[in-house]
Amino acid sequence: MVDPVAPSDLVELYRLMTAVRQLDLAAISWQRQGLVPAYAPELGQEAAQVGSALAVDVCRDFVFPTYRELGVARACGVDMVEYMSTHKAIWHGGLWNPAETHVAPIQAVVAGSVLHAVGWAHGQTLDAHGEVPEAGYNVAITYLGDGASSQGDVHEAMNFAAIFKAPVVFFVQNNGWAISVPTEKQVAGGSVAARGAGYGIPAIQVDGNEAAAVLEATRRAVAHARAGHGPAIVEAMTYRRGPHATSDDPGRYRTLDEERADGGTDPLVRLRERILAEAAADAAALDAADASGKAEAEAVREGIMALGSRPGAEMFDLVFQEPTDELLRQKANWQEETDHA
Amino acid sequence: MPETMTAPEPVMDTQPKAQELSLQGALNLALDEILAEDPKALVLGEDVGTLGGVFRVTSGLAAKHGAERVFDTPLAESGILGMSIGLAMAGFHPIPEVQFDGFAYPAVNQIVCQLGRMNYRSRGTLPMPVTLRVPSFGGIRAPEHHGESLEALFAHVPGLKVVSPSDPQQGYSLLKAAARMPDPVIFMEPKSRYWQKGLVTSTESPADVSGARIARPGKHLTLVAWGAMVSRCIQVAELAAEDGIDIEVLDLRWLKPIDAEALATSVGKTRRAVVVHEAPRTSGLGAEVAQIIIERCFGTLKAPVERVTGFDVPYPSGDLEDEYIPNIDRILFGIQRVLEYKRG
Amino acid sequence: MAEIPFPLPDLGEGLIEATVLEWLVGEGDQVERNQPLVEVETTKSALELPSPQSGKVLKLHGAPGDVIKVGEPLIVFEVPDDTAGIVGTVPSEEAPKRRVRLSANLDDD
Repeated sequence: MVDPVAPSDLVELYRLMTAVRQLDLAAISWQRQGLVPAYAPELGQEAAQVGSALAVDVCRDFVFPTYRELGVARACGVDMVEYMSTHKAIWHGGLWNPAETHVAPIQAVVAGSVLHAVGWAHGQTLDAHGEVPEAGYNVAITYLGDGASSQGDVHEAMNFAAIFKAPVVFFVQNNGWAISVPTEKQVAGGSVAARGAGYGIPAIQVDGNEAAAVLEATRRAVAHARAGHGPAIVEAMTYRRGPHATSDDPGRYRTLDEERADGGTDPLVRLRERILAEAAADAAALDAADASGKAEAEAVREGIMALGSRPGAEMFDLVFQEPTDELLRQKANWQEETDHA
Repeated sequence: MPETMTAPEPVMDTQPKAQELSLQGALNLALDEILAEDPKALVLGEDVGTLGGVFRVTSGLAAKHGAERVFDTPLAESGILGMSIGLAMAGFHPIPEVQFDGFAYPAVNQIVCQLGRMNYRSRGTLPMPVTLRVPSFGGIRAPEHHGESLEALFAHVPGLKVVSPSDPQQGYSLLKAAARMPDPVIFMEPKSRYWQKGLVTSTESPADVSGARIARPGKHLTLVAWGAMVSRCIQVAELAAEDGIDIEVLDLRWLKPIDAEALATSVGKTRRAVVVHEAPRTSGLGAEVAQIIIERCFGTLKAPVERVTGFDVPYPSGDLEDEYIPNIDRILFGIQRVLEYKRG
Repeated sequence: MAEIPFPLPDLGEGLIEATVLEWLVGEGDQVERNQPLVEVETTKSALELPSPQSGKVLKLHGAPGDVIKVGEPLIVFEVPDDTAGIVGTVPSEEAPKRRVRLSANLDDD
């Protein structure tokens, strides 16, 4: 029913994870260089993000990310310059086409899009008139963190999903920290997956730093939803190795010793060791993937440097499909004053 | 040697007569004094404890006043507000923080349906002495939902009072005043002014904390503003003086209740008014201010009250925010329209 | 800008000093928290010290071969005073610029 993780999967995971690592590190340095005003690093979450994203098929499924999902977006084929445009403060949500890529825009309210995933998923069952199609339902996957799990919307989403038997996967990256607040002060009981029992939703907690384990668990969850059995929860236990965002100073709330102890072994190092141990690829191939990741990050940097502002008129043009007269009047006035001044 | 190198900013133990503080520092000082003076005062919210708040406004307060009185909550704004209501019912004086203006939206149910109504619903037996601090407005090139202007939304809700300081002194005085009130106050801190420094004097005079204030006297036209727009309007007034136009800047401070007397006095003198706000134009607070002016000064107005505002669009990304927030030229255009208005 | 000094930390097991082997960063470099800063040697072993702080390296104390005692200055960082909030940037306070001039006949005021 679910494809076992093959040696080729491991290599593909590595190829994507090393690219994501390079992009993530580069994005932090871009902020330091003044190229982007802010960035929310996902360092340490590469296995959780890439492993889960590889389990969905964006030709048919739909992905609802948070603002810390560079790895998911990259694995889903989102153009990385268009992705970074939101961090360059060009356009809230990013410049990629969510309708075509099946990756929803970035939005900043934690848990804000979890219910959207449930709605999209329910739409798939409505379209199928309750008959599970031969190829199964299209599946929504929604990303949330341990912090977001505190929001009431997450309860509503899980309850709705179970009630409507919606084909949605709740993918929780429990990365240990919501800005300065650790999971033990955030998640009563210590596990978001444990809540699944209350809703009758099958849930699994997985080592989020073990890419293959994440891929396999998410494949199972997606298969469950696809087959018409309703929602599933995957909680990937991982670690936010970096700051909450580039202006955050983790030294105010955790020590380096704690970071090192709790961060465990780098997920990229673990995957590399496994690939070499299982001879899925040789070191030269992995080194080549690393080099390719670095080159990609450099190309994205050039793309971001070249990325210009959006015209101010778009502020007005993109509010509605059918703009109001008052909005058009404001736009005309804005244009006149801009030109005249 | 601890690896944690960044010590929390010290909280002042004694309060000198006047001191140079940033708005962040002035608010921190006010909270420190409120917690010291009022044993029932509590500070709660996301990251307000150990971290000291994302803008460091609560820095050092947990260490000084205890982790029971200054505490981190789980990440849920509706939870923070709902719990504050319950704490107020239990006799506490909560000072919750929502981290950014846009994150007040998830708490709107508790703010609008509960906080603003509990006194009324309980026939005055369950007052709500809750001061909700909201880092507000734009100007810092932040992500989405980190630059909203919610004053009209909150001012529209019965049972809520709304105030916005424009500088460190106002921040200190108004926060102390708000925290002493027996009713809910939405305290909108202009985040683009957090780092602005100014002289702060401790004050106990009601005149220092109630109603509007004249931020700059003038005789030809009144600019009405609040929050971060006050300093911009003062800049505009200085520029207008180069052209021989003497502008009065009225810092409204309280957005509910609005100081109608101060508006009438100022515009009664200048006979011209322009309201400036960052919030979208339609149903913005500028309309309310204009109507109050019309009611009080209709006979003497030389021109219709002009509004220079944000647009009816979602607050844009940092790259476009200078196009959105009323800039100096747009305010000058608005002033010029009023100056050249001809009746008939 | 604030200067944050970082003294040689207690390396444990009663060690009181260490010898600088090699600096992995230079003055003026922007470093990240946890980035390797320096290789030092104690009587027990050679080890790499990670940066406790992100910031700009203002000054390095001790050349390769120098002995530094625990608690003595090792490195000084420079960090901005006006740190922004967790997101966003501190607005620059520049002189107001205008392109629009006012004109009015205020004779009848």
